[in-house]
Amino acid sequence: MVWANITFEVKNQVAYIGFGKYEEKSVVVLSKDTLTELNTALDELRSGQEYRELDGVIFFSHKKNCFIAGMDVNVISSLKSAEEASAGSAQGQEIFNKIEDLDLKTVALVDGTCMGGGFELALSCQYILCSDSNKTVFSLPEVQLGLIPGFGGTYRLPSRVSMADALDMILSGKQIRASKALKMGLVDEMYASARLMSMGQKFIKNPKQYLKLKKKNLKTTLTSLLQDNFLVKKIIFQKAREKVIKKTLGLFDAPLKILEVMEEGSGQGRASYLSLESKAFGELCLGDQSKNLRNLFFSIEKSKKFPGHASSYLNYPTQNPPKIKSSAILGAGTMGGGIAYLFADNNLNPLLKDINIEALELGLKQSSQIFYSSYKKKRLTRDEWERKQRSITPLLKYQGFNRADIVVEAIIENVEIKKSIFRDLENMVKSDCILCSNTSSLSITELASNLKNPERFLGLHFFNPVNKMPLIEIISHPKTSADTLERVYNLAVALKKFPVIVKDSPGFLVNRLLGPYITEMTYLLEEGVSVTDIDRASLDFGMPMGPCRLLDEIGIDVGFKVSDIFYKAFGDRFRKSDLADKILSLNLLGRKGGKGIYLYNEDGSESENEGEGVGNSAGTVDEKRSRDQSQSTQNTNNSSNSARADSSGSSGSSDDNTINPEIKEILPSKKTVFEPRIIQMRLLLPMINEAARVLEEGVVGDAASVDFGMIMGTGFPPYRGGPLKHADSEGLDKILQALKEFAENVSSSRYQPAPLLEQLVSSGKNFYNFNQSKA
Amino acid sequence: MKNIREVFIVDANRTPQAKSGMDLKDVPVPYLGVGLIRSMMFKTNIPYDAVDEVIIGNVGCPAKYPNISRVIALEAGLDKKTSGYTVNRNCASGLEAISQGFLKIASERSDIIFCGGVESMSQMPLIFGREMTDLFIMLMKAKSLKDKLAALATFRPKFLKPIVAIEQGLTDPFCNINMGQTAELLSQEFSISREEQDQYANNSHAKAVAAHKDGRFEDEIVPIIVGNKIDRILNRDIGPRSDSSVERLGQMKPYFDKKSGTVTVGNSCPITDGGSMLLLCSQEACERYNLKPIAKIIDYHFHGLGPEYMGVAPALAIYHLLKRTGQKLSDMDLIEINEAFAAQILALKKIIKDESLAKRFDIEAFGEIDETKFNVNGGGIALGHPVGSSGSRIVVTLAHELKRRSARYGLASLCIGGGQGGAIIIENLVR
Repeated sequence: MVWANITFEVKNQVAYIGFGKYEEKSVVVLSKDTLTELNTALDELRSGQEYRELDGVIFFSHKKNCFIAGMDVNVISSLKSAEEASAGSAQGQEIFNKIEDLDLKTVALVDGTCMGGGFELALSCQYILCSDSNKTVFSLPEVQLGLIPGFGGTYRLPSRVSMADALDMILSGKQIRASKALKMGLVDEMYASARLMSMGQKFIKNPKQYLKLKKKNLKTTLTSLLQDNFLVKKIIFQKAREKVIKKTLGLFDAPLKILEVMEEGSGQGRASYLSLESKAFGELCLGDQSKNLRNLFFSIEKSKKFPGHASSYLNYPTQNPPKIKSSAILGAGTMGGGIAYLFADNNLNPLLKDINIEALELGLKQSSQIFYSSYKKKRLTRDEWERKQRSITPLLKYQGFNRADIVVEAIIENVEIKKSIFRDLENMVKSDCILCSNTSSLSITELASNLKNPERFLGLHFFNPVNKMPLIEIISHPKTSADTLERVYNLAVALKKFPVIVKDSPGFLVNRLLGPYITEMTYLLEEGVSVTDIDRASLDFGMPMGPCRLLDEIGIDVGFKVSDIFYKAFGDRFRKSDLADKILSLNLLGRKGGKGIYLYNEDGSESENEGEGVGNSAGTVDEKRSRDQSQSTQNTNNSSNSARADSSGSSGSSDDNTINPEIKEILPSKKTVFEPRIIQMRLLLPMINEAARVLEEGVVGDAASVDFGMIMGTGFPPYRGGPLKHADSEGLDKILQALKEFAENVSSSRYQPAPLLEQLVSSGKNFYNFNQSKA
Repeated sequence: MKNIREVFIVDANRTPQAKSGMDLKDVPVPYLGVGLIRSMMFKTNIPYDAVDEVIIGNVGCPAKYPNISRVIALEAGLDKKTSGYTVNRNCASGLEAISQGFLKIASERSDIIFCGGVESMSQMPLIFGREMTDLFIMLMKAKSLKDKLAALATFRPKFLKPIVAIEQGLTDPFCNINMGQTAELLSQEFSISREEQDQYANNSHAKAVAAHKDGRFEDEIVPIIVGNKIDRILNRDIGPRSDSSVERLGQMKPYFDKKSGTVTVGNSCPITDGGSMLLLCSQEACERYNLKPIAKIIDYHFHGLGPEYMGVAPALAIYHLLKRTGQKLSDMDLIEINEAFAAQILALKKIIKDESLAKRFDIEAFGEIDETKFNVNGGGIALGHPVGSSGSRIVVTLAHELKRRSARYGLASLCIGGGQGGAIIIENLVR
């Protein structure tokens, strides 16, 4: 047998099965061929006479820092039907069963990433030994792809760790580091990375001797005893389910399916448990949610590499431009402080300049608070906090700007002030220093207009709060050099953010698409729909917050200022409602000022946790799910939907005391109750329509980039794939139809279908293959 | 000095100084130096790997940073090949650091050296006594339960009484008297009255307050981030009192000799946190990196005497230094002498102008200090005395004041616990 994917050899009475030897990439993934060869090797081990006397089998990786990162996602995406997917899962399970059933000792040596199918392989071994490297992490991330672990992970993990820990890992997909894994009992022993193989070889000769050295943890023993209890298990499942529903409103299939399989399977034998698992895998795999999440996964992978210039007029590629290693920030406000945090956290030693000590202290507070919360969560030691926070140099003068590789401006949104500052900066910084503006609303082209070296200038738009928002918009103007763009892109990736390259145009990408969403909200309010109904409908769709809440977050002053810019740039479809003017005249700031549409506590927290309210009234999972289905497929199930409309209607009219009384005062006296589906369409259609225009104008490269930006920048529900993917799966003809109806009944300017949409419908295409045809 | 290279002070800065337990108490000791080096590097184009050495004076030697200089160098972003070491000449550690930097550059061994001092007296530890330490050792060695119990049985509650490291450090192990008691001794032997001392202290506060008010420290102080949450900025000294008066000082009780003493907390320097730093360069380095030096080091000298007379040691150090350089006291345009105690300054002023008193210390009288040139921005009594840093802090202040006055020669000197004095002469180049 010639091994082309795995290595298989016997030395000193031990069989070694190695992965990743023949892979070019640094990441080891399981392909179909790898699994087939593994199967063959296992069959040989089972049947070959010469293997009878072996001490055992060691599974290991030839790659440093990666054991096995899981099944190749491309393989999963190539599955054509639920049956095929289930069968694939069952085949994998069978191979891993063979590992479990071997008459030999089996040891997995894990040094580096051990995820998904790779982790499931390790779980089927008798022993798992791992290295103490900080690259060593264990996880079952399938849920993040809308899937269930399909190779026996849900079956084997609970027998290694407590049910609560297993559920937590599988439902969140989170990564467990080596030391934690040892504590949890996930691995049997941990050794220094360089000694893992030699210790593994000793271990397999006499595991008991080496396990004796490990101290038993009383707490884990007690917990596992307790959790074996049938009743306790039931409670654990119930808690887990409540948590899932609270977090996802029951809209997300995968975690619910996982719970179903694990609860139903927990009393059963291996074969029936595994068949539940593979069946569920098949169902989830072919669902839209998983497809969308897998696309997102590919988008994320793709986003880690600089895609080239958004426009074709510049020559690309460049030759590995130098990395950005030092930074300076102008303006220590909320954004400046947040960016200072991000730069400090990533060893860019930011200089932070402002005009007085008080302003600087505000910025320092901003960053320190973020570090402090990481410290509280034990993600950071006090020393690390101290070092990182102190790597920020607060300045009143421009000392040191001559050494910076990048300067980010985050001062007041005023074109003239910014322009004069950039002119000054040009003379202070070194010749290859990149200058960026964090403006959210001003024209990058205009800001670049009188620079001596506009090619090193661009927009770098961070979102607030900087530490939490994963998206960065990189805004190019016609003179931005490819080199500048690539350096900034690489910086964004190094900051562990997700960059999207956007051509300069009003509002760039994300804010432009949020514009119609928020504008339409004010029209709905004007028509008498309640704040509660609007936000709840939006939450029910899966948005992280409703448009009213969102406006408070952005700041009412900022939000409407931006909408004026849109109105100037794009005309009537962005015309403010009369109600918006009334809201504006109240001079409310939103959350930062303590009150906006809602009221806030002094510390800025919501005066009542709205999410909880929704969770409590959620009822059963099935109710939620049926509602979700009725929305996404738009097959109106009369009974459930009307019931829903009633209940939300009543909650809307009831006096919600978290809403600012000043706002209630100016809301119209007439009350309108719309079905949530209608509200959702009213809010989302203009967004989708605007996205079509953005795509048509070439503001971003393709539909996937629009969706990527919206998911990362606004929290648009990832399992819906983004506004354009969502539109594609709903059917563009239906979208167009709905737009036309609303144009007739609600507003001809705001619902006027984008030309691209009409064009795609008439040619029978959709947003996603619009790009392909262009390419 | 003959046949050696000139040594230039390119830049000199300090942190604000704050009384122990006040604003700087939470700042980990290395950061009292890190920001200074960073800020100076920002002002130049010296590559980060071109700095030869970092030499830092420090007395408290925090257990966590046995060689604090290396930590400062790395945290400040200097290249890993830059060497660093820590020096301790008690109160003159900062000056010792400068003297070593001076010699290394003068002797062509190095071209670019950061030297200075850092001290966090707030963070000096409490120490378990000998008996408790022995008990811990016994416990660690004990193998059986019986041995462990036997070790524990030796415990007595008094073992828990901590020793205050700072108190121990301020007591001379040779003559076993406290630094404050040496000041009392001087006030007795050289007849210095309580009133004179309080007057002196009040004057020190007045000068320091005026210096702050006129912004005279703005160039020398680099602001530092402070606070438990590391989010406030301190840019001025916490110590000088604008409400100081001779009357109020007169109401304070003597601290070291409670019955008949004259030395009070008010006419002594407070224990203080702070850091100071100088960038020393050779002529070649100045040319290579286009650096504009602010001053030149002429020479330095250290001198010893009986530990109980440590307060007047600057008289000896200055005398011998002037002899080396062939200068007269009147050649000095500014004089900075660190104020440990008012009594100590007043005594040394008497000694240097009185032949018979000078003789007791084997020197000749060499003149009188011109008050208009002396500690013009206040001294240690108002600004504080972070022991490891003061030796370089006075040079930082001296260099900036010379520059401001376009004056030429400046002398800085200080007394050193243990019976030594140190002095240095620099020449201002920005005239």
